[in-house]
Amino acid sequence: MAGPLEQFEIKPIVPLRIGELDLSFTNSSLFMLIAALGATVFLVASMSGRALVPTRWQSLAEIFYEVIANMIRDNVGSSGRPYFPFIFTLFIFVLFSNVIGMVPGGFTVTSHIIVTFGLAGLIFLGVTVIGIWRHGFKFLSLFFPHGAPWWTAFILIPVEVVSYLSRPVSLSVRLFANMTVGHVLLKVIAGFIALMGIFGVVPFIFLIPLTALEIGIAVLQAYIFTILSCVYLHDALHLH
Amino acid sequence: MGAGMRIAVELVAAVLVGTGIGIALDKWLGTQPWLLILFFVLGCAAAFRNVYRAAQEIERQAKERKAAEQAERE
Repeated sequence: MAGPLEQFEIKPIVPLRIGELDLSFTNSSLFMLIAALGATVFLVASMSGRALVPTRWQSLAEIFYEVIANMIRDNVGSSGRPYFPFIFTLFIFVLFSNVIGMVPGGFTVTSHIIVTFGLAGLIFLGVTVIGIWRHGFKFLSLFFPHGAPWWTAFILIPVEVVSYLSRPVSLSVRLFANMTVGHVLLKVIAGFIALMGIFGVVPFIFLIPLTALEIGIAVLQAYIFTILSCVYLHDALHLH
Repeated sequence: MGAGMRIAVELVAAVLVGTGIGIALDKWLGTQPWLLILFFVLGCAAAFRNVYRAAQEIERQAKERKAAEQAERE
């Protein structure tokens, strides 16, 4: 019987070594590719009709569009509009990676912290660059709360800097921890079914709502990941 | 569920980052263990700052949702 952690193992499919670097095409790369291609096929195919009265697929794509458009309007404001394509791509990619991970035999790309940290680090750098580009030197006022007495700066600025630097960590750990914990839990309870023989019915019944919950978490975490990116973008654009 | 997890992660991440910066600076400047202690405390303060900010964010969203619901009803 497979252990609960075996599902996270990285297996090279096409081995490739360049010097010291291992650049193999792994199952992780494969499922990232599937997520990206799946998202593209879904969006292109569902919107190809462009009907005034949408089909089911088209309305699904339109719901995603509206959810992200509303999210940007509520959390960033109208100045966030130019960043819609990036935020939308981010949401769809994380959503597809999470949901494809729930397909039996699938690999959850987002259950590896380096993947989520790569995404979060990119957002962090991008948002910082946007803030500096928009505000120049004034961007540094982000690290000092408006209206505080000047002598508190010695304490507040280091605290705010550490708080700012912790953003990519908390963003990536949240997604990674949720996906990993959920998948391990499902595997452990599934293991009980085989161990308990006829009484395995009990964990089996328990597993059904848990799987539904896990699919819910997959969608919710993609949403939270994107909404927090929006909040960070808001801070960079408006400073306070 | 989402809110609780968010606050928990926020709390841990800031302490981790603060401690990490402290250890790295200590190694670089050879001032063990003083910067570790300093940045651990700063990390804790940043953690509370993060939690406060997250709570404000969650409250703001809840308020907006309530307002939207009220507007729909009228």
